[in-house]
Amino acid sequence: MKNKNTLLGVAAAAFLGQAFLNTAEIHPQWTKDYSLGKTSLASGLGADQAFLELLGFREFLAGMLWVRGDTFFETGNYDAVLPIIRLVTMLDPKNVDVYTTGMWHIGYNFTDQEQRSDRRYLPTALALGKEGCANNPETYELFYEEGWLWYHKIDDDYPQAVSWLTKANNHADIPPARKNLMRNALERDGKPKEALDYLYTLLDQAEKDYRNDPFYQTNNNLQTIKGNIDTSVIRMIQRGNIAQENGWYATGDYDTKPPFDVGFSAKVTVLEPKILKIEGTWNVLPVGTRIRVILRDADLPNAIPGSMNWDAMATDVNLDPPRDETYMQDQLFVRNRHFSKRIDMSKDITMYPFAKDKYLIEFYYNPRSAPPHIQDKFGWNGEGMTDKNFMVSNARPDNERVMYTSIEISKDQLLQEGQFAGRPVVLKTKNYRDSSDLRGSNDDVIMVPSLRNTQKPAASAAPATNGKGQ
Amino acid sequence: MQAIWAIASSTVGEAVRRKVLLVILLIALLLLSIIPALSILSVRTETSATISTIFFVIRFTSALIAIILTIYMIPNEIERRTIYTILSKPVQRWQFLLGKYFGAVLSLAMMMAIMTVLALVMFYFNHRDAGKLADIARQPVLYLVEMSLLTAIAMFFSTFVAPLVNFFLSVGFWLVGTVLNPLYDSFAQNPQSQPAFKLMAKFILNVLPNFANYDVKNPILHPGVIIQNEASYYIKTVGYGFLYIAVLLILGIVIFDRREV
Repeated sequence: MKNKNTLLGVAAAAFLGQAFLNTAEIHPQWTKDYSLGKTSLASGLGADQAFLELLGFREFLAGMLWVRGDTFFETGNYDAVLPIIRLVTMLDPKNVDVYTTGMWHIGYNFTDQEQRSDRRYLPTALALGKEGCANNPETYELFYEEGWLWYHKIDDDYPQAVSWLTKANNHADIPPARKNLMRNALERDGKPKEALDYLYTLLDQAEKDYRNDPFYQTNNNLQTIKGNIDTSVIRMIQRGNIAQENGWYATGDYDTKPPFDVGFSAKVTVLEPKILKIEGTWNVLPVGTRIRVILRDADLPNAIPGSMNWDAMATDVNLDPPRDETYMQDQLFVRNRHFSKRIDMSKDITMYPFAKDKYLIEFYYNPRSAPPHIQDKFGWNGEGMTDKNFMVSNARPDNERVMYTSIEISKDQLLQEGQFAGRPVVLKTKNYRDSSDLRGSNDDVIMVPSLRNTQKPAASAAPATNGKGQ
Repeated sequence: MQAIWAIASSTVGEAVRRKVLLVILLIALLLLSIIPALSILSVRTETSATISTIFFVIRFTSALIAIILTIYMIPNEIERRTIYTILSKPVQRWQFLLGKYFGAVLSLAMMMAIMTVLALVMFYFNHRDAGKLADIARQPVLYLVEMSLLTAIAMFFSTFVAPLVNFFLSVGFWLVGTVLNPLYDSFAQNPQSQPAFKLMAKFILNVLPNFANYDVKNPILHPGVIIQNEASYYIKTVGYGFLYIAVLLILGIVIFDRREV
């Protein structure tokens, strides 16, 4: 061949050309536009599954696996569902339903015998949601689900809920009714004025929607927003928020004045190894108060008073949370100004390993999480609430007012071992008094105002406590 | 040019007569016709699972046909000594090689067209979504370029290795090439990857034929994904394929020219 060198020169030039084209032009655009997600190569697949995945059989394989996962779910085999959720999200990162269901499942369904969530999984649920958002930025759904997890499940770090719901609202495909949750999140974030302003923007849009399409759905949304605005305005007036904004709060008579002392006290009794009885006082008569109680390792990383820094922990989708950490969270339901709850952690060894020597029992109450009828007295930011012993403003950013205290307890005490073997262990806050002391004492019962009935209940109408709790 | 065309058309005729290729095609057609039944297993993602499976069947069977069709082309001509009757005429070796290559690509295009048409018909009857058909048809077009590149690889190897070795080499190149992009991205995005490995991954990405570039099903499966300059991407990938095919064919011609037959 006479022109062999020329041909080889052309081949070399073409080779360099393809390399340049691939690296500089094609590959960056492929990664941006055509990659199916950040988790392209699924680890944990069987050889046959990996083979199918590599050949582009991912969506079908994902669908088959998801059906399998559903079977496990129906039979209550929740642990088996976890790896399937992970595999399906790796195989088909565009499957929003799997992310949604996976977040809910991981966040809510792993519970102990008494239906307490295993919150060690919460960072995994949050991380899965973050990954889903990154893989599906074109739809509001996973941003909304992430916001819901912060709003409802974590139920404390409301700026996070607001942030994620804002991202969801920025998507055009969000249904109008789903935008209403933002108002609640803003209120719980201690920003009723912003919540009201937000409702007015929704109202403008809802009125436009109704004019363009005057049917049941648009009318229903419009009426809901109007109702929410009415409620918000009345609450802001009665709770003194509008007065605060305009500088006449000090001179007016508002429902949040004067701050009411909730008189928290608690006693913890170790009935049997890993079985506690927690009782105490909370001087609020209307039903609806739930005080958060946490038992956790004293040196738990990322712990903050009454919660965890969940966002810092939600870095990767780890299906195997730390097995040596103990974190129990429950609610103490107040009835007749008293709470009493038996907490049995003896039946769930993997959830409560008690591997450390020191533990903390924390009591936490955030008025921002309170139901509206309690907030009518306490206010959105707890301005109508106090506790002469345990009110703190340094447990959360922005000087948020919360009730917080903690009691140290050792492993020996919890397990009734060592010097505590066979002995009852009782720990109390300094101000604890037996609830029977409260019998007949009505003078310090909170009188929560009602939106419907402005007549304050007579003090004698308060029923006496029976001292037994629930 | 006439010589190349004559060889190409006779290659198409041979391909159509080869039973093994027709059996593969038949299996592919059967699979394509039962995909809608399989897709009901994919809860709430039936459409994307159907389309994804259609693409899988077309891609996998096309690759199989491309490799099996090509690996025997030159060795068979040499073994049966029919190459002498061709080369004794005024036909250059490079014309023979190009004729064989274009014949293989034409045969492949015909078979892929049959599969695509059947898939589109089945999809339409099951989903009644005519608007989606044009979208679905886009991917097989790029698969044809991908398979042309794979054919060029098999053709290149067939100039100097035995068919069995060629089969495994071609299959290996194709499998590695289909995961090059996700593999490289996994390395590049992992903060724990060693710089030396990242460099090696980049080198491999530039050297090996990158079949993953032709996997453009993401916006087809997920209509919410909006892509800017999609046409320019298609043009670039087609250009990339042609450049790589040119490299392989030139090298094949040079090797085949020196080979004793």
